[in-house]
Amino acid sequence: MTIVSGIHISLDKRQVLRREGIRQQSSVKPEIMALIDELLASTYDKHLLEPAIAYDVYAISEVGHDSVQLDNSTEIRSASLSSLISGGRELTVAVCTIGPKLEKQVTDYLGGREPLRGLLLDGIGSAAVDSLVQETCRLMQNEASLRGYQSSSPISPGIPGFPITEQWPLFQLVPSEEIGVRLAPSGIMVPRKSASMVIALGEQVTVRKQGEACARCNLSKTCHYRLVAK
Amino acid sequence: MSGELTKAIADLEENEALRLAREKLDSGEDPKSILEESRNGMEIIGNRFSDGTYFLPELIYSAEILKEITEIIKPALKEDAQAKTSGKCIIGTVAGDIHDIGKDIVVFMLDVNGFEVFDLGVDVPPQKFVDKIKETDAPIVGLSGFLTLAFDSMKETVEAIKAAGLRDKVKIMIGGGQIDEDIRKYAGADAYGQDAMKAVSLAKGWI
Ligand code: B12
Repeated sequence: MTIVSGIHISLDKRQVLRREGIRQQSSVKPEIMALIDELLASTYDKHLLEPAIAYDVYAISEVGHDSVQLDNSTEIRSASLSSLISGGRELTVAVCTIGPKLEKQVTDYLGGREPLRGLLLDGIGSAAVDSLVQETCRLMQNEASLRGYQSSSPISPGIPGFPITEQWPLFQLVPSEEIGVRLAPSGIMVPRKSASMVIALGEQVTVRKQGEACARCNLSKTCHYRLVAK
Repeated sequence: MSGELTKAIADLEENEALRLAREKLDSGEDPKSILEESRNGMEIIGNRFSDGTYFLPELIYSAEILKEITEIIKPALKEDAQAKTSGKCIIGTVAGDIHDIGKDIVVFMLDVNGFEVFDLGVDVPPQKFVDKIKETDAPIVGLSGFLTLAFDSMKETVEAIKAAGLRDKVKIMIGGGQIDEDIRKYAGADAYGQDAMKAVSLAKGWI
């Protein structure tokens, strides 16, 4: 198992705006852009981000049409996963988080009747998780190339074809408590600004373009927060 | 000048809107009509939000301006007008779900539009909604949820309200990222809303 901390997250303003549901930067009121800048600066000044990643790599023993069996006899039930890793040899299971500080500040803003700040900072937090997921993918690419493999696109429990209940077996496979992440009874992670994913490593694994995740999502028609414009 | 305040709010000119509101108040204008004019500004904002000119942050920004104006003129309002007039509304994120931001925005928008909102928080069991309806007599209940599992919780909450004999006394609206007409039917709610503006217009329509 591996724990990675002390990661620097640099946030791209466009990503933050996407998390606010905004696509055209030019149309946004300057006051709001200025507030985003201020909140971004305070995110770093107040050290609201404490990014950490925990992951482990397991050998795959069998891939069924809607489940995957690991060498340690753990079974992960997911049709989406099966289709992603057809050529996979190993499976990495990763959990990442930006920690609880930012969301505490969001709650304080909302409770203190400053909803705009709350909303914008929440978007910054989500953009930070996005960036951390990208970082996790880069780490997995390294793991893959060490083995002479490729790494697949990530997929996460909770998306169509990968039930959120699979969080439970996955959390047996990663030392998530070491980065302060636990599961609530619903399978949701605490702190909220966290993500879990699996990535296959192998000679031939599926790599999807960014927009494909949106295209496959059940909300593809209605979501305000798409990665790629329709 | 009539219309200036409406325009300042609609264009999100915070300082100008606050200045105009104070000026009108000082010159003896009826505080109720100042509020009315401000709310007209919000209506324009609502339309701009619906047609995609404004986004959620702008909607919230305008609501914050309206809130500030309300604070300025509140002391000048007669006591009967100070009392919230739009009606009571109970809101919470249903059992098993802990998404709060969407719900909090709905709460804020209802609040600035004059509703008395009872926010039950997140992960709210059905019985808590039932108890609050009995306690407050609120005629509107809003259920928020972002997870798939929230669909069942919404259904269970509606059923609990029915079992308590209160279903005819309340209108129930639901919302959250995945909520649509199919889920409204499944849960047995009266309406669903895709955003906080819709939550306000639904609630207004039921009062
Ligand atoms: C942002 C986001 C994240 C962020 C932040 C999450 C957080 N809680 O802070 C990050 C990247 C961290 C994340 C992580 C995950 N996410 Co996520 N996430 C979202 C997303 C895009 C938006 C949710 C949100 O908070 N929006 C903010 C509010 C303001 O948005 P809004 O919808 O515009 O709000 C309006 C309306 O909903 C409406 N409204 C709200 N309530 C009400 C109530 C009433 C009565 C009315 C009328 C209206 C109304 O008014 C609001 C204001 O206008 C949704 C997809 C979506 N489009 O909703 C997925 C989604 C909720 N996530 C999902 C998943 C799967 C996950 C993960 C489990 C993935 C993983 N395995 O890592 C994790 C879980 C995190 C955890 N803690 O466990 C799924 C859940 C599906 C399921 N099975 O239940 C969704 C639905 C995406 C999808 N289709 O796959 N996520």
